[in-house]
Amino acid sequence: MSLLSSADSSAALESDSQSQRAWILTKHLLLFFVLMTLWEVGSRAGWIDPLLFPAPWGIVKQIGLMYYVNGNVYYHFYKTFIEAMAGLGLGVFIGVGLATAAALSLRFREYIKPYIIVIEATPRIAVGPLFIAWLGFGLSSKVALAALVCFFGPFVNTLTGLLNVDDEAEEMFRSMRSTKWQTFWGLRVPNSATILMAGMKLGVSSAFGGALVAEFISANEGMGVLMSRYTYVLNMNGAFATLLSITFFAFLLFKVADVIDYYLVFWRSDKLMQAKSKKRKDAFFKSLAAA
Amino acid sequence: MTSITSITTSTTSTTSTTSTEPAIGPAELADKGFKRLAMHVLIFVIIIGAWELAGVFNQLNDLLLPAPSKIIVKFIDLWFISQRIWWHFFVTMYEATAGFFIGVGIGMSLAISAVVSPVFRRYISPYAIAFNVTPGIAVTPLIIAWFGFGWSSKIAQATLVCFFAPFINTLTGLLYTDEDATELFRSMRANKKQYFWKLQFPSALPLIIAGFKIALTGALIGAVVAEFFSASEGIGILMQRTSFKLDIAGSIATLISMSLMGLLFFSLMEVLDYKVLYWKRDSRMQQISKKRKAAWNM
Repeated sequence: MSLLSSADSSAALESDSQSQRAWILTKHLLLFFVLMTLWEVGSRAGWIDPLLFPAPWGIVKQIGLMYYVNGNVYYHFYKTFIEAMAGLGLGVFIGVGLATAAALSLRFREYIKPYIIVIEATPRIAVGPLFIAWLGFGLSSKVALAALVCFFGPFVNTLTGLLNVDDEAEEMFRSMRSTKWQTFWGLRVPNSATILMAGMKLGVSSAFGGALVAEFISANEGMGVLMSRYTYVLNMNGAFATLLSITFFAFLLFKVADVIDYYLVFWRSDKLMQAKSKKRKDAFFKSLAAA
Repeated sequence: MTSITSITTSTTSTTSTTSTEPAIGPAELADKGFKRLAMHVLIFVIIIGAWELAGVFNQLNDLLLPAPSKIIVKFIDLWFISQRIWWHFFVTMYEATAGFFIGVGIGMSLAISAVVSPVFRRYISPYAIAFNVTPGIAVTPLIIAWFGFGWSSKIAQATLVCFFAPFINTLTGLLYTDEDATELFRSMRANKKQYFWKLQFPSALPLIIAGFKIALTGALIGAVVAEFFSASEGIGILMQRTSFKLDIAGSIATLISMSLMGLLFFSLMEVLDYKVLYWKRDSRMQQISKKRKAAWNM
């Protein structure tokens, strides 16, 4: 259902004309600026306590300070980025590996089911202090927590994609006498590719969350540390600027996931589908000619 | 079909699957129940036994991974002898539940306003997207600064982490109603109220409840993380204290207690699912329709 709806809505977006979209964008920006101005005015007039809710201009200045003047954010950003990405890689590896094993073997699927339910119900991020105790204060404990927190989305999505294939397509594969592996590669893997990226997106956000929480618990570098330091000295501008950086970066990663999704699931877009099938047709004829 | 759904449905597709039981078919498990259960128990016992044996032969470092028996002793101590955990357990449960209800209230009312007014939907969509990509638990330090060190900051954090799933699931559920069913309602001249209560709302319910499930886990996570950051009571702080003292057995016992809380929440949601979504299960469906038939015949 959701796949269908996302396909429709992108079609609906494409049907908007260029000028219409520009106008919509302008209205959005206008509203945003009005809100920000109100906030700024409210803050200057003393209706909003700037100590708790910093004014937009202060945050902008702080971003300038952090990125251009001091440049202190890059180091912390780099640390958190490495932690989250290593955690994401590890988590996706574990999640997809487990899902593949569970999809291939009914028995394995049955035996891990109770453990999966328990893991799902546990607030996994709560293992943070334990990981710190086991793996120390450095990089590895953050990577481990990020991996633990983020593996679930890719796992469930891959498993769902691998198992919930179209009945009729499966019947066709069976009537063509395809082997188990042919069904797996030709039907199940492409089917799971359609929702793999959605799982990755969930993973991105939770990997960052895991890395940040591990840093909150104990670290001396990283965005989480920067943020808690800023709030402890009540430099709210700094805390907001840090938070916005994380949001912006996660947003970038979401966009990257969208692009990968577009090319990976090429059959969803007519243009890519045609290009791909033309290429395959040419290759097929070439192989015929060679033979 | 505005931009908000195009971005967020992808998340919904996963979140809704995440919340329900992972795609391990229940039908396959229905028969041969007892033998299966015995095998499950056997495997569990073998794993725990091997672990315990390693402890007996001094292969385990208590500072890293204590033997199961030590964890059980700690667990019993926490719950029944020193009874230290009850208060912490209660505090966290209260925070998470309060956060859950506030979050569900906010999320669902936002979603309903977004369904009613397409303009509102269009204008909140970029903020919803920004909110979606920010890891909610990253806001913890700010929440603590705003709400202080007491319970309110934990409730606020739980709310913040959990409100998004009910919001997006309610929105998606209410927006995508089956077109054929809509046509049927229109051809029967159903009025707006009938359309909402008899079709739109019930068809959105499975997604809404799936959103609740995610929200409840999210609320627990939010409360626990806020406790890690700064608190004097709650199961998160108990966890942090035990592991910082390198009392790993105690810490794992606390973790198991947390899992139990999560499972309790999870099964409450399953009960809700069973009671409310009766049309999803044949036996329940028959039961309810028999009851309704009897009531009608009266």
